[in-house]
Amino acid sequence: MTTTHITQPTDREIHVERIVNASRDRVWRAYTDPKQVAQWWGRGHALDIETMDVKRGGHWRYVEHEGTGTHGFEGRYREVTPQERIVRTFEWDGMPGHVIIEDVRFEDLGNGRTKIVTTMLFHTTEERDGMFNAGMSGGMDESYSALDRLLAGTT
Amino acid sequence: MVQYSASLDTTFAAVADPTRRGILEHLGGTEASVTELAEAFGMTLTGVKKHIRLLEDAGLVRTEKIGRVRSCRLGSRRLADEAAWIAQFQQMLDARFDRLEEFLARTHGECR
Repeated sequence: MTTTHITQPTDREIHVERIVNASRDRVWRAYTDPKQVAQWWGRGHALDIETMDVKRGGHWRYVEHEGTGTHGFEGRYREVTPQERIVRTFEWDGMPGHVIIEDVRFEDLGNGRTKIVTTMLFHTTEERDGMFNAGMSGGMDESYSALDRLLAGTT
Repeated sequence: MVQYSASLDTTFAAVADPTRRGILEHLGGTEASVTELAEAFGMTLTGVKKHIRLLEDAGLVRTEKIGRVRSCRLGSRRLADEAAWIAQFQQMLDARFDRLEEFLARTHGECR
């Protein structure tokens, strides 16, 4: 199992890289065929793909069912280059009007391996922090991170 | 303007060492110069500077040179919070990509 590598090139961007053992064509389908997206994007939670019109300007909306709660995510496609790149806007229902630009590129590494490079661009650092605060206090995940526990342990 | 470009790895590496956690604890109580920290931890200046640099790179400590003395204090809580946010975010992304890999492995050959 490979790992996800995350960096912050700037204070408004999050850069994510992951290599998967599948051809670029298969990864492309997993990202663009609604039936396939429904099987992995929800991280094991039930996921409804309400709409997914994979073309420039097309609307997408996913609803994830987590326990008793639901989380809606939606946006529009800004760029769709088959096999290579998907750029779309990304909004979480919990913070309507705050839009992230998600840029996903697929790099063919040969030998049936593909590198998925995702960049998430926040409008402002404050929005990114706001999303963090909402996530922390909104009950999405109440658990403190390992870092917080470590720091708490030093006092 | 605080330039924050530390990866999660940098942050975890910074707090993984007991001496560096000790330095964080010490600075939680009061500011200290590099010399004072070296004395408090029974280390050489060079040794303590190395630890301070790692903590500074992770954004967990800030240093400022006042005259001939380099003063150290805790970085902003916001940076620690950001690192915590990234940790959660990483968990979410890992879970998503793990599912993707599982899906790709499970459907091998069926989705051509």
